[in-house]
Amino acid sequence: MNKMISKYMVLYELRNVTGNPFVHIFGVGMPIFMAILITRISISEIPDASVMKMLSTSIFLGIGAMIPMATILMGYAVRQAQDLEKGIPERMRLFGIRNRVTICNRAVSELIYMAAAFGLYFLAGIFFMDLQAPVLSGFVLYAVCMLFFSIMCFMLGHAVAALAKRFSLTYCIVMMVYFACMIFGGMMGISYENMPAAMQAVARLLPVTYFSRDFYAIWTGETYNFVPMIQSYLFFGAASGILLFAALRRR
Amino acid sequence: MEREVLLSIENLTVRYGKDVVLQIGSPVLIEEGDRVGIIGSNGAGKSTLIRSILGLVNYQGSIRTALPMDRIAVHMQSNEYTDSMATKHIMEAILQTKISRNQRLQELIRYFEFEDCLRKRYSKLSGGQKQRFTIIMVMMQDAPLTFYDEVTSGLDFETRQKLVEKMVTWYQQRDASLCIVSHYYEELEQLANKLLILDKGRVIAYGKKEELFRRYCGRAVIILKHSQEKEALFRPYDKLASPAHLIALPCETEEKERELTDLLLTHNMDYTRSTTDIEMIYTNAKKCTENRLDGGER
Repeated sequence: MNKMISKYMVLYELRNVTGNPFVHIFGVGMPIFMAILITRISISEIPDASVMKMLSTSIFLGIGAMIPMATILMGYAVRQAQDLEKGIPERMRLFGIRNRVTICNRAVSELIYMAAAFGLYFLAGIFFMDLQAPVLSGFVLYAVCMLFFSIMCFMLGHAVAALAKRFSLTYCIVMMVYFACMIFGGMMGISYENMPAAMQAVARLLPVTYFSRDFYAIWTGETYNFVPMIQSYLFFGAASGILLFAALRRR
Repeated sequence: MEREVLLSIENLTVRYGKDVVLQIGSPVLIEEGDRVGIIGSNGAGKSTLIRSILGLVNYQGSIRTALPMDRIAVHMQSNEYTDSMATKHIMEAILQTKISRNQRLQELIRYFEFEDCLRKRYSKLSGGQKQRFTIIMVMMQDAPLTFYDEVTSGLDFETRQKLVEKMVTWYQQRDASLCIVSHYYEELEQLANKLLILDKGRVIAYGKKEELFRRYCGRAVIILKHSQEKEALFRPYDKLASPAHLIALPCETEEKERELTDLLLTHNMDYTRSTTDIEMIYTNAKKCTENRLDGGER
């Protein structure tokens, strides 16, 4: 097969993504449920409406990072490991479908699914939460940052699956990364400000921290120092890239 | 007319760790129109040979083919697919076509009676249906060279027979070259015109079925079920190597054959006559190699 991306392969990969019920639960249901629940709990004792709005929006923007982590980092890595364990990529290669074709079509299908998940997430946010409307640049930056974060999750997921090769081990690793990101990103009850210094140092290296801690400022067009956030992207991207390189070298 | 060489294998060595699992010295040429049955006991190197041709294992030596890899089709011993969707969608994605718009694919699906399975997931298919699913896609590739690695292993007798019958009829009308690994010699009797016999990773014989039969078994063979009575009756006669439950009597000349058949008729004994029996070729080629290695004479 010569075409890098084809209708049939994208549809096939989309069916693969949607065929995993855990992706719907953790990638769509849980972020919506958590965003609504945490917001309700957090704003219940705040009398000031503007503070309530700010808090709701901050929580909403932060929890949004769960979507790429659940659909791509977890969903894709686990599926890839399952496929490797069953020898499906080899079988596809024997039918003339090269690995890079599979990866390209998977990337496109993951992107489509993630866009749909964000669509639902934003609809739920609009209907059930009192959110601050963004400035255009804030919305675009949120989309761009999420896209880069998703690409890194894809690289990391692919690398973990290729290195671990087994479903159980891959599942264990990506679950640990997922919960670590949530804890350090301030999504599990401890905000960045309340973390010990050592935890804060780790949190600063993760892009998720900036989604939950700082993105409200970017969302509303306030002045913001992007340098620490860019550094976290560079760190996370480099770590994912090195792992991916090691996985490709090993193959 | 000179036939085109599709595949040539020479001085091939495959190692798993320190063990040499396959070693082919003299050239093995697979030409246009060849239907090669690859036989040998478990661990003889049959699947390793296919995996090295397909570049799935590391090897030393030379495997040459003018065919691009996507013009070589293969049905592996074990073929797995995703379980997230119906087989119909897997088929359409792999073949890059819509079943409803592809006449040839529809014909193949009908031919292999796969219509009712299209809506099922791969894990819900029976063993025979799973094999047919891959066979349909392999045949759709319409490749000049196709490998079938133990297509019928694990299937019951009836399913196996039906599947092979379909394959035989399908390929009778086509000139594609095939390499078929199988432990069921009766399948190869129908599908193969050449044999590649492997034993402990070495080629012990390669050539046309009839030529190999003449080389290792002679003009014809009479095969009987073993019994003490038959053993005693044919004690003075030469015998070929055979599995323990059989007695194989070579018939080098017509006179010899007549003498043997007269004797069998007189004693009212059942027998089979063959000039192509693969089990006899395999047993005697193996015995001959063992004798040669031991320094003995056949």
